[in-house]
Amino acid sequence: MAPPAEVLAVRGLSKTFPGVRALDGVDLTLHAGEVHALIGENGAGKSTLIKLLTGVHRPDAGDIVFQGRDVSFATPLEAQKAGISTIYQEVNLIPLLSVARNLFLGREPRNRLGLLDLTRMHREAEETLGAYGVRVDVRRPLRRLGVGAQQMVALARAVASEARIVVMDEPTSSLEPREVETLFSVIRRLRDEGIAVVYVSHRLDELYAVCDTVTVLRDGRRVHHGRLADLDRLTLVSTMLGRELGEVRKEGLTKFTGDHHATGARPVLEATDLTVPHQLHGVSVSIRPGEVVGLGGLLGSGRTETAKALSGALATRSGRVVVAGVPLRPGSTPAAIRAGVSLLPEDRKSEGIVPGLSVRENISLAVLPRLSRFGLVSEARVDRIVDTFVERLRIKASSPHQKVGELSGGNQQKVLLARWLAMNPKVLLLDEPTRGIDVGAKAEVQKLVDELAADGLGVLLISSDLEELIEGSDRVVVLKDGAVVGELTGDEVTEDRLMRSIAGHAPAGDTVREAADG
Amino acid sequence: MAEATLETVPLDRARVLQWLQTYGVYAGVALLVVVNIVITPHFLTAENFRTQAVQVAPVIIVALGMALVIGTEGVDLSVGAVMALAASVTALYLGYGLLPALLVVAVFAAGIGLANGALVAFVGVQPIVATLALMVGGRGLALVLLPQLEDLRNPALASLGSGDVLGVPYLILIAAVLALLVAFVVRRTTFGRQLLAIGDSRPAAQLAGLPVRRVLIVVYVVCALLAAVAGVLATARLQASDPTSLGNLMELSAITAVVVGGTPLTGGRVNIAGTVAGAVLIQLLTATLIKHDLPPSWTQIAQAAVIVCAVYAARGRGKR
Amino acid sequence: MQRTTHRSRLLTRPALIALAAAMAVTATSCAKSEDDAAGGKKSTAAADAGQKVVTPKPGSKTCTIDAYGGKKIDLKDATVGFSQSEKEANPFRIAETQSIEDEAAERGVKLLTANAQSQFSKQISDVQDLLAKGADLLVIAPLNSDGWDPVLQAAAAKKVPIVTIDRKINATACKDYVSFIASDFVEQGRRAADHMIEATGGKGEVAILLGSAGNNVTTERTQGFKERVAEKAPGLKVVFEQTGDFTREKGQQVTEQLIQSKPGIKGIYAENDEMGLGAVAALKGAGKKAGDIEIVTVDGTRNAVQGVVDGWISGVIESNPRFGPLAFQTLDTFTQGKEVPQDIVIQDSAYSPDNAERDLGKAY
Repeated sequence: MAPPAEVLAVRGLSKTFPGVRALDGVDLTLHAGEVHALIGENGAGKSTLIKLLTGVHRPDAGDIVFQGRDVSFATPLEAQKAGISTIYQEVNLIPLLSVARNLFLGREPRNRLGLLDLTRMHREAEETLGAYGVRVDVRRPLRRLGVGAQQMVALARAVASEARIVVMDEPTSSLEPREVETLFSVIRRLRDEGIAVVYVSHRLDELYAVCDTVTVLRDGRRVHHGRLADLDRLTLVSTMLGRELGEVRKEGLTKFTGDHHATGARPVLEATDLTVPHQLHGVSVSIRPGEVVGLGGLLGSGRTETAKALSGALATRSGRVVVAGVPLRPGSTPAAIRAGVSLLPEDRKSEGIVPGLSVRENISLAVLPRLSRFGLVSEARVDRIVDTFVERLRIKASSPHQKVGELSGGNQQKVLLARWLAMNPKVLLLDEPTRGIDVGAKAEVQKLVDELAADGLGVLLISSDLEELIEGSDRVVVLKDGAVVGELTGDEVTEDRLMRSIAGHAPAGDTVREAADG
Repeated sequence: MAEATLETVPLDRARVLQWLQTYGVYAGVALLVVVNIVITPHFLTAENFRTQAVQVAPVIIVALGMALVIGTEGVDLSVGAVMALAASVTALYLGYGLLPALLVVAVFAAGIGLANGALVAFVGVQPIVATLALMVGGRGLALVLLPQLEDLRNPALASLGSGDVLGVPYLILIAAVLALLVAFVVRRTTFGRQLLAIGDSRPAAQLAGLPVRRVLIVVYVVCALLAAVAGVLATARLQASDPTSLGNLMELSAITAVVVGGTPLTGGRVNIAGTVAGAVLIQLLTATLIKHDLPPSWTQIAQAAVIVCAVYAARGRGKR
Repeated sequence: MQRTTHRSRLLTRPALIALAAAMAVTATSCAKSEDDAAGGKKSTAAADAGQKVVTPKPGSKTCTIDAYGGKKIDLKDATVGFSQSEKEANPFRIAETQSIEDEAAERGVKLLTANAQSQFSKQISDVQDLLAKGADLLVIAPLNSDGWDPVLQAAAAKKVPIVTIDRKINATACKDYVSFIASDFVEQGRRAADHMIEATGGKGEVAILLGSAGNNVTTERTQGFKERVAEKAPGLKVVFEQTGDFTREKGQQVTEQLIQSKPGIKGIYAENDEMGLGAVAALKGAGKKAGDIEIVTVDGTRNAVQGVVDGWISGVIESNPRFGPLAFQTLDTFTQGKEVPQDIVIQDSAYSPDNAERDLGKAY
C-alpha cells in the first residue's frame, strides 16, 4: 500500500502583527486521512497558523502547498471552496435561521423552478444530522438548540461542503461527553474517507483518543512534531510549557493541592429546594467556609442554572438561599452580591467582561459604589484596589487602561476574579473558570481557587474538565436533569465514581448517597 | 522590503481611520472655519460666531442627552416631541410666571422620560420602538394641549432667549454648562461608569450587580429633561410656542451630532466633546451652504457625506 | 426570566396609561396661559372677510348637471360631506374648516366632516365613509393630487357631485368632479413682487424665503415673484433663495445667516407668514429696527397683519382660506341645474400699511 498522499505542505510560514512575531518559520505537513493535533499555549501561534491556512490573514513569508499547488487564499470563503473548512471555537452560524437553512447556507437545494426546495432540504438535513447523533426538528431556528448541537451542525456543514482538510479549533469546548464521543466517531469516519483533520484542543484525553500525529507550537515556533503515541502526556505538557519534566510531574496536571479542610462546621451558604420551571427541580446545596464544592453533571443537567439561582441571576419559583444565616431575596443579583455571593459566569465573553471598558474599570465595576462618595468616584481608591489585584493575580495587560476585550482569555478571567475579590465575598461561584484559557493561566486560576478556599472562602466549582473537578473539589454534588442525584465525599471523589454517578447506575454497595439525605 | 510594505500599508490605513474617528470631527470644524474665513464675507465677526453658537445651542443640549442614551446602546427618537411638548406646556402655564411654567415642563418631560425608560428597562421593548411610540404620542399630546402656534410676550422668557452676560448669550452659557456637567458625570461618577458598562455589555453589567434598570430609567429621564431645556430655549428665542414644527427632525440632528462626534451606536462609549464638535460641524456646514446661497438639497448631501465619513471611520476602528 | 418580564409588562402598561391620563388631566385642569391672564382668548372667528371670485375669463370652461350626470336637488335638503386634509393646527386650515362649517350653518345644510390628519390613506377612507353615511354632495380639500380613482368611482356610481378646494385633483373636470376652487399662487407671487418693488423702489438686493421643497405652492409663488421682478424692476436682484420650510423657526435661522453674510440686503420675500414672522424675530434679535429691511409675506394671518400694523412687515398678500360661501354657492348653482365654471379662482386681497389696521379683523 502506497503511503497516503500529501494534502498540505507548509514551509517556513511567518506572520508579524504590530509588536508581536506571531509565527516564525513554521512547517506543517498533512497527509490524507491523518488526524493531526495542533497544540500550544495561548499565544503560541495556533490561531495564527489556522488563520493563515484558511485565508483570514496573509502570511508575510513562506509557502502553502495544497494538493500539489501553491495557494494563497484571499478570504475564508476561497479557502472553503478549495476544500479547507474550519469549525471555530465560537459557533459561527446564523442563530435566527432554521437548522436546515444553516446546514445548507449558500448551497441550498433548488427545485426545477430555481426555488428553494424546502422538503428536500429538510429531509437531507435530518439525514445528515442523524449521522452526527443530532436528532432535532431542523425547521426550528438554530438558537433553540443547545451549544453542543449547534457545534454539530457547524461540523456537519463543514464536512458536507466536500472538504479535503477540516480544521477544528477547540471543537469540544461546549460539548457533553456523549457528544464528544459522537464527534470522535465522525472524525474517525472522516479519516477513513481520506480527509485530513487538524485538531486543536487543550484537553489531553481527547488528543490521545483521536489524534495520530502532533505539532507543538511555542512562541510562534514549532518545537516538536511526530507521532502522538510516541509522546507521553507529561512530556507533551512539558514541551508545550517549555518546562522541565520533573517540575510538571511534581506539581501534577492541575494546580489543586487537594483537600482544603472546611474550617467552619456551619455552612456559609445553604440553598434548599431551589425550583425553576423546566430547569431546576428542588436542588439543595450547602457550602461551608473553606470548602470547594464541585457540581458534577452533564451539559444541561442544571449546573449553570444552579449557580445562577444562587447568585440571584435566575428567579426561582420556590426554595430559598440562606447566606450566613440571612435569607436572600430571590431573583436579585445586587442582593446576592451584597450578601457576599459572587458568580463567575460560564460565558465569560458575553456575561462576564465588559469588553470595551478598561482593565481598571472592569475590576472596579462592582465595588465602585463603595469607592465613591455622593456618586463621585474616588480615583485614588480605585487605583489602589486595581493595583493590588493586578499584582496579586498577575494580570498581564499593557496598562490598567487597556481594554479587557484585547486581553487573553486567562487574563480576562483573572480580571473577573479581581472584580469579585475586591468585594470581599463570602462565597464564590465559579462556572467553568478555566474553559478556553491557556495552560499557564489555568494553573494560576486553579492555584488561586485553592488559596481562596484556604483563606476561608466557600467555593462552588463547575467544570466540564473532570480532572479539574475531581482534583479541585472536596465534595462533589452530582446533578442530572435539574435535580441532585448523588454526592461524593472524601475518598469517593474519583473520576470513576463521578462517571458512574452521572451515568446513574451506581453498583450495589456503593456509598453514593441519595439527594434526600443531604 | 516586500515584507515591510505588506505590514505598513494596512497598518497606516488603520491608524488613519483611528485618528479620523478620534480627531476627524475637530479637524472638520477647523477646516470649515478656515475655509469660511477665506471665502465667506463677514465671517470673521463676533456677531457671526454668536449667531452660529446661538443656533447650535439647542442641538447641542439635545445631543448631550442623546449621547448618554446611545452610550447605553439605545436611542431616543422622542426628543423632538419632548421639545414640542415643552413648547406647548410653556405656553399653557406661562400665566403663572416663567419659573412655575418651567417646573411643569420638567414634570412633563420627566414623565415622557420615565415612560421611555420603563418601556426599555422593565418591559424590554427595544429603545427604537419604545421611543418611537413616545415620539408619536408626545407630539400628539403637545398638539392636543396647544393646537397651533401661539405668540409669547413674557419678558423673562424673552430675556432667556435673547439676553446675555458680558456679551455671551444665555443660550450659549446654558449649553456650555450642561456640556461640562454631562462630561463630568460620564467621567467621574459611578453613574457614568455604570452607564458605559451597561451599554457595552448589559448581561455582564446585570451579573455584576449593577442597578441596570435604575440607570436606564435615569438616562432616559435625563435625555428628556435636556430635550425639554432645548425646547424651552428654542421657544424663548422664537418668542412663540410652535408645537407643530418645533423639534421636527431634531432626533436626527442629535443622532448625527453624536455619531459624527465619534460615539459608536453600539454603546459603551460616550464622547461629549466630540458630540459638541459634531453639532458645531453640522451647523457650520449648513451655515456655509446657506451663506453662499447653495440649494438646500446640497446641505442634505453634505450632511450625508459627513455621516458616511464618520460611520466609515467608526467601522474601520471596530474591525481592528 | 420570562415570568418576570411578563409580570413587569402587566405592571407597566396600566402605569403608562395612568401616566398619560394624569398628564392630560393636569394639563387641562389648571393651565393658565398668558392670554387667560390677560382676560380671555382672542376670538378666532373673525369678522367675515368677503370672498369674491376673480371675474372668469370669457370662454373658460363650465359645467352643468346635465353634462355631469346626476339629478337636481335642493341644497337645503341635502347632506354635504367635507373632507379636510391636514389637521386644523395652522391658521389656514382652521379658518378653512371654520368657514365651511359656518356657511353650512348659515344655509341650514346638514354637514358631515372628516379630517385625514395628513394621511392620504385616511382621506380616501374618510371620503368613502362620508359617501356611506349618505352625503349627497362632497367638498374635498385634497392632501394629494393623485390616487383618487377609487373615491371618484364610488362617487360617480352614486352620482355625487364633488367640489375640490385649495388643491386640485388630477382628473377630468365635469366628469370626475365638478369644479376646483382655489387661489392663484402664481398671481400671489406677482402681487408680492409688486409690493416689494414699491417698498424698495425697485432697486437693490432681495432674498426669498422659500417654502417646503417639492410643493406646488412654493414653486408657483416663487415663479410669479421672479417673473414680475424681471419684467417690472430689473434693478431688483434676487441674491438669496433658501428654504424656511414654511416654519417660523427655520425662517428665523435662515434670516440670521442671511443678514450676517449679506448685510446690504434690502428686502425679504417670505412665501408664507410664519417664515416672515421668523424673519422679523431674527431682525429684532440682530438689533435692527422696523423698516430697515422690507418684508413681504403671503397668507394674511392675524399675526402677520399685526406685523404690518407694527411696521415690521411692509405688505401681506392674502391667500384666502374662506372657501365656505363660494363652495356652497357653487354647489347651490350647480344643483339647481345652472352652469358653473370648472376652475374658480378666489380673489385674494392684500394688507399694506394703509389698510392693515382697518382690515385687521379680516385676517385669520
